[in-house]
Amino acid sequence: MDIIQMKNVSFSYQQDQPVLDGINLNIKKGEWVTILGHNGSGKSTLSKLLIGLLKPSQGEIIIDNITLSRETVHEARKHIGIVFQNPDNQFVGVTVRDDIAFGLENLQVPRNEMVERIDKYAHKVHMAEYLNKEPHNLSGGQKQRVAIAGILAMQTDIIIFDEATSMLDPKGRRMILDYMSQLNKEGVTIITITHDMKEAVLSDRIVVLKKGKIIKVDKAKSVLKDQETLEKSNLELLLPLKVLNYLEKENIDNEKVRSYLWELSLTR
Amino acid sequence: MKNIVIGRYIPGNSFLYKMDPRTKIISLFVLMVAVFMIPRDAFEMMFIGIGLIVLLLLIGKISIKRVYLGLRPLMFLLIFTFVFQILFNRQGPELQSWDLNYSFLNIIAAAVLVLFWIFTKKYVRTKILYFAFMLVGVIIILNQLSLGNVFSTGQLVIHEEALLIGFFIMMRLIIIVTLSTVLTLSTKPTDLNLGLEAVMKPLKFLRINTEEIAMIISISLRYIPTLLDEANKIMLAQASRGVDFAEGKLKDKVMQIISLLVPMFIISFKRSDELANAMEARCFIPGATRTRLHQLFWNRLDTVALVVSLIILIGSITVRVVV
Amino acid sequence: MGIKFNKVDFKYQGNDNKAYLALSNITLNIKDTGEFITLIGETGSGKTTLVQHMNALLTPLSGSVDIFGVKINRENVKKKKVKLNPIRQQVGLVFQFPEYQLFEETVQKDIIFGPKNFGVDEATAIERAKEVIKVVGLDESYLQRSPFNLSGGEKKRVSIAGILAMEPDILILDEPTSGLDPLGRNALLDVFYDIHKKLNKTIIIITHDMNTVYEYAKRVLVMRDSYLVYDGDPIHLFTNKNIDNWNLDVPDLLNLIHKLEEDLGIQLPTQPRNEQELFEQLKVVLS
Repeated sequence: MDIIQMKNVSFSYQQDQPVLDGINLNIKKGEWVTILGHNGSGKSTLSKLLIGLLKPSQGEIIIDNITLSRETVHEARKHIGIVFQNPDNQFVGVTVRDDIAFGLENLQVPRNEMVERIDKYAHKVHMAEYLNKEPHNLSGGQKQRVAIAGILAMQTDIIIFDEATSMLDPKGRRMILDYMSQLNKEGVTIITITHDMKEAVLSDRIVVLKKGKIIKVDKAKSVLKDQETLEKSNLELLLPLKVLNYLEKENIDNEKVRSYLWELSLTR
Repeated sequence: MKNIVIGRYIPGNSFLYKMDPRTKIISLFVLMVAVFMIPRDAFEMMFIGIGLIVLLLLIGKISIKRVYLGLRPLMFLLIFTFVFQILFNRQGPELQSWDLNYSFLNIIAAAVLVLFWIFTKKYVRTKILYFAFMLVGVIIILNQLSLGNVFSTGQLVIHEEALLIGFFIMMRLIIIVTLSTVLTLSTKPTDLNLGLEAVMKPLKFLRINTEEIAMIISISLRYIPTLLDEANKIMLAQASRGVDFAEGKLKDKVMQIISLLVPMFIISFKRSDELANAMEARCFIPGATRTRLHQLFWNRLDTVALVVSLIILIGSITVRVVV
Repeated sequence: MGIKFNKVDFKYQGNDNKAYLALSNITLNIKDTGEFITLIGETGSGKTTLVQHMNALLTPLSGSVDIFGVKINRENVKKKKVKLNPIRQQVGLVFQFPEYQLFEETVQKDIIFGPKNFGVDEATAIERAKEVIKVVGLDESYLQRSPFNLSGGEKKRVSIAGILAMEPDILILDEPTSGLDPLGRNALLDVFYDIHKKLNKTIIIITHDMNTVYEYAKRVLVMRDSYLVYDGDPIHLFTNKNIDNWNLDVPDLLNLIHKLEEDLGIQLPTQPRNEQELFEQLKVVLS
């Protein structure tokens, strides 16, 4: 079943300058899809459309059988959550506890249940001992973990990570990636928006955007190797795959090395 | 920069910390009215009031030093009103008067003293006392010396009423500020906000959305440290480009301030935009009903505190009406 | 000359009124020409505090920093014995977010703001603006545009041009490539490398990207919990046993070389420093 359907979606801020142009994309329940693209390719606009912060100038978006419109958007947001890029600009609460509670308060979850869920999901992202901390005493990675807990507590089926790791240090980045794969294994549909190929490796499918258009949608394995497509969108191949392509070009036929490089690129 | 944060909360565990913020806010209001009800000639009442405040600070384990820090920014206002009363209020019997001799040399001597005060005050810790010394010094110079040609004379007269009113205004201000300081010292900003929201609920009849106001205050509380931090970084970034915030002519000063304000505004706009998106994405709908994680609980202590405050108010009204 | 740290300590006052150590006993020498240094470490390890000492934005709590012969310590700064402004011209510091510094109506006005503060006359400053805008890979048409209508990468370049126009001897960049796509990142790194090569300036880059460290840097500084734990070349850094404790990633290139050696027994003649070297060596070994 397709949990997300985008049918011929376009969006423009100004006439004649489409930021997104004729996007068709279906995402299955439990799938992990990476959206790759250069700076300004429209990938963040895509995430804002999915969460109903922007309205398509053309086409329609269906989330969990709800066609997005002004009337249904609030209902649809109960099914889809998003972690944004800047850890500081999405931390609403005065403390970690208050921030995780924010979404639950909006959903009118009764207080008893709220307390339970906060506790549960703070544990899940290993932030339980920080519940009373204020945001300016947390690192960027910790704030992003709180953001994840806030969405998990709302028990949405889909989570979008919109360049959620780009402002973090390597350790913070690794942790967020670990949570992504763990959540995906538990059945959460995950959409990562990034230009970091290492984030794309673990996903099921990859969508490559260039100047507002989808130039490729395919299984992750085949896109990762597609130098031509990736370079069109300012992206770089993973190093083992670069070597693999080089060996092919030079006609160096060592099957053992080739299959090894291929395996290596798919493990993180 | 960090000292700007007004009304700092200092953790503690006295009964003041266990009270419901609603009680504290309502009691503060009731006691403020009570203080204003004290008639001008009821010295005993005022001293009882001061006694009660000191008692509150002692039982509530609030450090006097903290309260003094809260009062310090108001010292100028206090002294100004007092001096104003002394100089211009001419009601009631004369208490004391001094002749003042104005001559060029006298005025120069007084001016020298004032200049000396201006340049040395930064080295003195008790600024208020030092200011008082300076004032007394000027009066003594004008009163005692008559150097050179005295072209005019005047009189400094202190009337009983002036002293009385000056004293009362000062005391009222001090009590009110002390009470407010006690409130902010003993209440977490989030609780204070919650309490304010609850107390303001009746305003809903005036179509004022109290929940939204509470949300605005809560977000401001959240972002004050972030914004201060950011302002500091922008200052450093511009200092790196040769902006010397300590020096510069007036024209440079304007440019310096612009170089700070423009980035501040632009970053804040972007931030509020992103924050609004993040809030909406998490199902926030302005004006919609929400449940709350933080709920207030009314204890017996709160009833007692409120009753005591009301008794004090009734007491002061009674004194004003009856006596 | 250059910058010399001598047993520098620094503490921050936290929000809870406790003091947090940001620098502990830092001793360090940086030459005024020809160095290409990367500074790495976790968030909060003291990297930014360290570079802010290099142009006297911060004053050591104890110890001293010698910047081009000017001694910066608590006493000298408190008694105003030293002029800080000339130092900031000699050591240019580009902050992480260009939004912190851009404020003028046009890119040109923003670029000449720095030089003018240091007493350069307007005509000369404009000449410099025309030069530096090209150095950072933009053309002159950008000079008349508003800095606020540029893309993230362009803003970053303009903010760097604004510092370059001050003609500093040492250029420091705080996470200049974070948030850029791979092509944008590589292009910007090439700009820095060009500045380093052609003008023989010392460049210091704070980064989280170990590939940058391995491929570009001649020297690496590693900060950890306010201490400077490593000062040396990148090759030795990544063979160091401590690397796991310091929470650093291994550069892709080294990772691949190690893997090939461990799993397939492929030994390369020398340790390649960039992709091209790796390709060529592999070609020789495999054919």
